[in-house]
Amino acid sequence: MIEVQQLSVSLQDKTLLADIEFQLDKGDYLVVVGPNGAGKSTLLKAMLGIIDIGQGQIRYQDQPVADFSQRQLAQLVSYVPQSSGRELPFAVEEFIKMSRYAHQHALSEWQPDDQQAVEDAMRITNTERFRLRQMSTLSGGESQRVMIAAALSQQTPIMLLDEPTSYLDPHHQVEVHQLISRLNRQLGITVVEVSHDINHAGQQGQTVLALVEGHSLWLGPGEDFLDKQLLQALYQQEFVFVPHPRSGRTIALADPI
Amino acid sequence: MTLTTRLTLMVLFCLAVLALAPFAGLGGIDDAAIREQILTQIRFPRTLFAFVAGAGLALCGLVFQAMFHNPLATPFTLGVASGASFGAALTVLLGINISLLGFDAITLGAFFGALGAISFVYGISRLNYSFSTETLLLTGVATSFFFSSLILFTQYLSDVNESFRITRWLMGGLSISGYQQLLQLLPVVTLSAGIIIWLSRELNLLMAGDDIAISRGVAVKRVRYLMFFTTSMCVGAIVALCGPIGFVGMMVPHICRLIIGTDHRWLIPASLVFGGGFLILCDTLARVIIAPAELPVGVITTLLGGPFFLWLLVRSRRQSA
Repeated sequence: MIEVQQLSVSLQDKTLLADIEFQLDKGDYLVVVGPNGAGKSTLLKAMLGIIDIGQGQIRYQDQPVADFSQRQLAQLVSYVPQSSGRELPFAVEEFIKMSRYAHQHALSEWQPDDQQAVEDAMRITNTERFRLRQMSTLSGGESQRVMIAAALSQQTPIMLLDEPTSYLDPHHQVEVHQLISRLNRQLGITVVEVSHDINHAGQQGQTVLALVEGHSLWLGPGEDFLDKQLLQALYQQEFVFVPHPRSGRTIALADPI
Repeated sequence: MTLTTRLTLMVLFCLAVLALAPFAGLGGIDDAAIREQILTQIRFPRTLFAFVAGAGLALCGLVFQAMFHNPLATPFTLGVASGASFGAALTVLLGINISLLGFDAITLGAFFGALGAISFVYGISRLNYSFSTETLLLTGVATSFFFSSLILFTQYLSDVNESFRITRWLMGGLSISGYQQLLQLLPVVTLSAGIIIWLSRELNLLMAGDDIAISRGVAVKRVRYLMFFTTSMCVGAIVALCGPIGFVGMMVPHICRLIIGTDHRWLIPASLVFGGGFLILCDTLARVIIAPAELPVGVITTLLGGPFFLWLLVRSRRQSA
C-alpha cells in the first residue's frame, strides 16, 4: 500500500532525510520515533506532497506520489498536523466540512454523502456535541479529536498523524490513542504516527521506525523496540525497564527520571 | 440575525448608497437641463465607477488577507499598488503606446508592475520557512518605499505638466466623465470576481494554513499563482484608471468578516457589495466636504485607513500576547 524507497529530502543544502526505506500494507500501524529535529515531521510532509522529495520514491498502491494530483492524493492520504487547530477561525462542523474538498468540485452542491461522511466522522470521534462551537473555545483533548474527525471525513485508506497526543494530559492521551487504534483495527485505516511516547511505540502489532538526524536507525516490530542499547543510541539517554504490574508488558523509564 | 438577513441588509445599504449618492451636492443648481446633464454624464457614471473600483479593491484585499493569514496584508500594505503605480508612471514617461487584448499601455504597465512587486514580496517570504507576519509587512513597506522612490525618479525626469498629472493621479481619484472608464474597468473586475468566487473553497482552506490546505487536496502553488495573477490584473486596472486608492482593501473585508464570518462563499459577495458602497460613500464625502472644490477620494480613504490599520495592529498584538 505504501512503499518508501531510498527517500532523501533536502532543503537549501541541508539534508533533512536520507535513504529512508519502509513498506506498509493495508491496516498496518507505523510509529515514527526519534529525538527532536530527526526529520519525523519532514517524512510526513514528504508523504503528503507538502514538500518536494529529492531522491528516491514514495509509492502509494504501486504508483509514484508524483503521478497523483493533490486532489487524488487527498482521497488516499489524510493528515492530522501538530497544531491544535484552536487558532483557526472556524466553527467545528464548518471546519470538518471543509475537509470534504477533495470529494467536491468547484461550486458543486453539498451532497448527502458529504454530510454522511461528516456525521460519521463526528460520531466516531465523539465530537457531535460541540459541532457548533468555535475551534478557539475547545480544550486540548476536544480540539485534537476534531482534527482527527476532519481527517477522517476525508475517507482515506491512509492517515498520517503528527504527535497527536503531545500536548494532552494522561487521560486525553489514552483517549486519543484508543481512538486511533480503533480507526486502525475496526476501519482498517493504515496509520503512520509520529510520537515521542516510547511505551506507546513499543506495543505489539505495530511497526517502529526510529530516525536520528534524518537517517533511519532502526526499523522493526514494536515489541522489539524497547531495547536498552537501541533507546540509548536513539535518545542519548539511559533507560531502565520494568514489567507492567498488571499486563506484564515491558515499560521503559528514563533513568534518572 | 441569520446570515442571509445580514447579507440582505448589507445589499440594501449599498443599493441605497448607490441610488442616493449621485444627488448629493446638487442643491445649488436650478437649471433642470444642466442638472440632468451633470447627473447622466458625470454623477451616474462616476457613482457606478466608484462601485466597481471599490468592489475590486475589496476583493483583492480579501484575497491577500486570506492568503497571508493576516488582516494587515493587502495589495497596498505589501507594495503591490506602488508597483502598479510605478509601472503605470513608467509607461507614461516612456510614452509607450501599445495595447494588448483591449488593455492600453498604462493598464498593462500597472499590471506588470503589480505582478513584479507581488512576486518579489512573495519570493522574499519563501526564503525562510519561519517567516513571520512582521517580516512580511516590513518587506511590503520596503517594497513600497522602493517603488515610491522610483516614481519620484520618473517624476523628476518628466516635465512640469506630466509631473503634476502623476502627483494628482497618485492621490487616487475618481473624477471621470462619461462611461468609457467604467466600460474598461467593469470586465476586469467581473472576471476577477468570477475567478475568486470559483476559488472560494480554496480560500477557506488557505485560511487554515498551507499544510492543511495541501493535505485536503488544494494544489496550493497553482491556486496561489492564479490568485496573484488575478489580483495583479485587478489592482493594475484600478490603479491605472484611478491611481492607488489606499486602505479600502483592508477595511472593507475586515468589517465584512466581523458581520458575515469567515466563510468565503459568503464573504466574497459581501465584500464586493460593501466595497462598492463604501467607496461611493467616501467619494461622495470627498466631493462635498470642501465643495465646490473636491478632494481626491484616496485622501479620504487613507485618512480613515490609517487609524484603522493601527487599531488592527494593536488588537492583533493584544490577541497574540
